[in-house]
Amino acid sequence: MHISEGILTGPVLLSGAALSVAGTAIGLKKIDYDQIPRVAILSAGFFVASLVHVPVGPASVHLVLNGLAGLFLGWAAFPAILVGLLLQAVLFQYGGFTSLGINCLNMALPATICFILLRKGVRSDRVIYSSIASFLCGAGSIFLSSVMVAFSLYLTGDQFLTVAKLIVLTNLPIMFIEGFIVLFCVRFLKKVKPDILEVVYEN
Amino acid sequence: MKIEIKIETIFFKIFVLFCFLFFYASLSHAHKVYLFAWTEGDRIYTESYLSGNKKIKDGIIKVFDSEGKELLNGKTDENGEFSFKIPVNADLRIVLETLTGHGAEYLFKKSEFSTDHTHNEEAGSGIYIGKDTEAEHQLTAVQDMMRKEFELALDARLKPVMKELAKLREDKGPGITEVIGGIGYILGIMGIVAYMRSRKN
Repeated sequence: MHISEGILTGPVLLSGAALSVAGTAIGLKKIDYDQIPRVAILSAGFFVASLVHVPVGPASVHLVLNGLAGLFLGWAAFPAILVGLLLQAVLFQYGGFTSLGINCLNMALPATICFILLRKGVRSDRVIYSSIASFLCGAGSIFLSSVMVAFSLYLTGDQFLTVAKLIVLTNLPIMFIEGFIVLFCVRFLKKVKPDILEVVYEN
Repeated sequence: MKIEIKIETIFFKIFVLFCFLFFYASLSHAHKVYLFAWTEGDRIYTESYLSGNKKIKDGIIKVFDSEGKELLNGKTDENGEFSFKIPVNADLRIVLETLTGHGAEYLFKKSEFSTDHTHNEEAGSGIYIGKDTEAEHQLTAVQDMMRKEFELALDARLKPVMKELAKLREDKGPGITEVIGGIGYILGIMGIVAYMRSRKN
């Protein structure tokens, strides 16, 4: 999912960076004092998740956990993912500095979109609705991220459909895994600490 | 309030444990792309794979000279391999691009080319210059042949060593230090942000 350095053209990198800065600014505004630890924990989770990789046919894909970050952080997923990506670039050499902005956009925007679309469903008291919405939030974030990565590559001149199919297909197992991770987290938190899901919706 | 905090710490502990279990299960670099190159005779061989030793099929290999001019390109086969004849006797930059937007590059120094093909003749003519008998000619021919055979055998023997060397030259993937360090950084940033915010309030 990380786009390496020197693959994309300047305009794509720049617009990605600009949009990421905008998203991060909105995210930072929305973070309350009490929410800082939550952002940090999900950022750490995102940072470590990329080490968990699943072999799929000829390629290997790794967990992203952007859906989880989106669901618990909303717009604040932008700063969380930006910090995670920066450290991944520095310490793991995934992605790169010039592609940091576009990578952040590709992972954080789908997370935020899924949060906005599915937050009502996740909070639903009906277990079935809440479960489906949680699963969709995890899986949908990965799906949208894959499409956005393909689109970034398309803007640089690759064939969109072929690449999109390839990326979505290789990430298919990750969609299921992350869907279930989010589902599990939501069910668990609804049992032990229901209000944790409510805090983020207040602002 | 106390119970809430307790539950939160328990959840945090479970989360950390979860991360570490996963991390240990696959202590490797999730998505790093590797490109190795070595010479054999007058050809350069390259091998490309993702971490976890997954070969990169249909990856695009481009070869540039030191001035950034593209000399040749090609696709990797199903073993992630691609080979080409050394195009110029200069430093080469070999670049790999995959369909999914990953890339890697390998710098090939001129000094790494194992054989300098002009060298043979110079050495031969240097020693035997002026001795024009048939026997000496035959000796030179035999010596040349032996030299070539020897070089071939040496290349074959050295191939695994060269491959290993190329791998060693690549930096290692993230270890426990990087992971703990990264989490430490995040906690540090959290502390700084919390401090700034607390001063504001």
